[in-house]
This record gives sequence, structure tokens and C-alpha cells, in this order.
Amino acid sequence: MEYFEPKSIGEATSLLARYGESARVIAGGTDVIVDMKSREEPSCLVNIKRIPALSYVREDKGFLRIGALTSIREIEMSSLVRQKLPLLWEAAHQFASLQIRNTATIGGNVCRASPSGEMLAPLLVLEASAVARFARGEKKLPFGELFLGPGKTLLGAKGLLREIEIALPAERSGSVYLKHAVRGAMDIAMVGVAVLVTPDAGGKKAKDVRIALGAVAPTPIRAKSAEKALRGKAVARALVEEAARRAAAAAKPITDHRASAEYRRWIVEALTGKGLAQAWKAATGKEVDG
Amino acid sequence: MSLNIRLVVNGRRHAAKIEPSISLLDFLRDTLGYKGVKICCNTGECGACTILFNGKPVNSCVVLAADAAGAQIVTVEGLAEGDKLHPVQQAFIDTGAVQCGYCTPGFIISVKALLDRSKNPTAEEIEEAVSGNICRCTGYAKIVEAIQIAAERLQGRS
Repeated sequence: MEYFEPKSIGEATSLLARYGESARVIAGGTDVIVDMKSREEPSCLVNIKRIPALSYVREDKGFLRIGALTSIREIEMSSLVRQKLPLLWEAAHQFASLQIRNTATIGGNVCRASPSGEMLAPLLVLEASAVARFARGEKKLPFGELFLGPGKTLLGAKGLLREIEIALPAERSGSVYLKHAVRGAMDIAMVGVAVLVTPDAGGKKAKDVRIALGAVAPTPIRAKSAEKALRGKAVARALVEEAARRAAAAAKPITDHRASAEYRRWIVEALTGKGLAQAWKAATGKEVDG
Repeated sequence: MSLNIRLVVNGRRHAAKIEPSISLLDFLRDTLGYKGVKICCNTGECGACTILFNGKPVNSCVVLAADAAGAQIVTVEGLAEGDKLHPVQQAFIDTGAVQCGYCTPGFIISVKALLDRSKNPTAEEIEEAVSGNICRCTGYAKIVEAIQIAAERLQGRS
């Protein structure tokens, strides 16, 4: 196995350009090392951990910027994240064990593109962008287009994730991340649901509604039809239930050892309903009635 | 291809030539002989291989030894001072928080890290701190008791 520790992003992207599909990028390593033990070693390993200045959380003119090598624990401990993006904080807080949170990076979680990746549904709902470097230059890839399938993203074999860019949501919005798993945070989610609701000025109608589902399709997905059921409408229980049913219909889960497809659809419906009610309450201080 | 690294384990300097794909767990156990770091699930789920990496608890089975170049590592062997056990170790013995003992070094390191960052941890903090450590004998009640006693002793309260 050839092994490299590039000291700059430019050095890393030229290695990826040269080695293409045979190169594997490693950051925190909590997934890649397990793969190397259980499957074959890659013929080339590019360890990006020594690239300086890729670990940060900073606010910048209405955006929060998170460096690709920022650990999940650093995100969890960031007062900026806790205050401005409670949804992302919640996902970081529910992310595996402390040991893993100290090691795993947000960039690794994104590039791994696991359907159940803990940070992904929240980042979809936040309409984040992945700032990626290629040998020829930089591209900004919206999360809505980033995921192509399990382990596959628009970064391909030659792109390197540099930063996650997140526009701060409206001040009066409310958001929640709900995860369903048997062993709590340690466990891989059977279903993850992220919800963000922005009420109108009167606090009666939902000006904006965003719902993302994890672990119930080949990639994390937005439940657009469910969002439409509520957007621009007065928020009432019947509509929330309708949105939850539509979210369940949008899910395309598989049956595996963690749960059956049918069970996962029920959980999507339950968590979407609960998530919408909690997000609405967080935003307006009021229960969903009627 | 191999790689030269230098690191500090339990205050002692080491230099070694390693394969770049070797995990920190295998390196600590097989190359340096720190057998207190236990190998169990080998996939980052059970916590038996927990060590302190620059002061933070991590699963050494999912860290590259290469990433430990320049790092300060603490394993369970590094806690006692001569014959005197660390208060966390002593509390585990005094409360009987050890059954088969295989998970114990990992637990002790997680608890050491907890008490380094929080002198007087709440029940919730204790639970969070060891949620990544599995005791297959399921002796959790005694372990929690040991953590509370260790916290009190470190504060000089008992």
C-alpha cells in the first residue's frame, strides 16, 4: 500500500488526480480503518489529517463555516453551533460514543455518504453546501444534490471536501433532530428525522417547512411533498398528520437486521409528526392544536 | 512501505518503524507491549481499547498508529504511581466493579477522562462518559458506584 500525508489541500488533490479510484482518503478513520480490516486495503491511502487549518467552526456574515477535519466532539462543544444551529448540535450530541466523537470528523461523515450518517439529514434541512476542492479549482455543491448513493457523492474520486457552509436559519425558526435506535446514541439510526419550521410574522402559518429523512432510502432525502402539505398554511394537527403520512410515503426503506421496511415507514410517520410539533413549539412557544 | 514515528506513551518516549495501515491498538499491544489496551470488537463499538490521545478518550482500534506521531498517549498502565493505584482503579476494586475484568481498563480510562474534565460529574455526565464502554457481564451498577466514589476521593471528600 502506498501512503501519503499531504500537508496542503493542493498536494492532496494532486494525489487524488494522480491515483483516482485506487486512492482512499482517510480523515478521522473510524469508518475507513474498519473497512481496511474487514475488506481489502486500498492500494493508496491519502491521510489528510496533517493538513493544517481544516478544523474550525466560525461565523461569517450570516453563515456558519465548519472545516472538514472538525471533529464531531468539537461541533458538540461549540457554543456557536449550540446557539445558532441547535439541530446540528443535537445530531452531534447523539452521534455514537464520546470516543468516536473525539475521532470522527464532519467531513468524513459527509463523504462516507451513509444513508444513516448522523449529520446528513440535519445538513440537508439546513440547505448546507459542501465546498470542495478539485485539481482544477473549487466548487460549491448544495447538499440537495451531493448524495448519489451509499458511499457515493458528487466529489467522486478526485474531489476533496474543504468546508461545510451553512446559511444561518431565520431567527424565529424552530428545529429538531429525532433519531430512533435501540441502543440510543451508540447505535446506527433505524430512522433519523430532521425538521425545521419557520412561522410567519403572525405565528399562525408555516412560512417555511423543511423535512429530511435518514436511513430510509439509498441516500438521506428531503420529504418535499410532506413539506408542501404545510408550507404557507395555518399549522393544525390534521395537516401535521397529513405531512407525516406523506413523509412515510416518501421513504423507500429496506428491510435489514435493524428493522423491517414497514416498521421504518411507521417510525418515519411517528417521528415526522412529533418533530413538526416540537419544532413548531420551539419556534412559537405554542402546541399544535385543532 | 513503512514509516518512522515518535510518540510518548505513559510519559515514556518511543520511536518505531510502522506499517502505515496498522491501528494504534495493534501498535500499542504488539509493538510496544502495552497489553492493558484490550482488543475486543476491533470496530470502535465496545470501548475495551480506550486510551487517552492528547488527553481525550478514543478507541485505539479505529485510530491509525501514524496519527499518533507526536502525540501523548496514556494507557491503563500509566495511571498508577509506583505501587499506588490511581483513585479510579482503587475505587473499582473497593466497590467490586470488576467481574471478568476485560472491559475494565477501557472503563478506567473513560472515567479518568471524565474526572479530568468534570470534578463533580452528574449522573447524566457519568452515563454519557461510559456509554461507549460495554460490560458484557452487565455490572454497570457497581461501575457507576465506583465512579461516584472515585470522584469523591479525588475531591478529598471521603
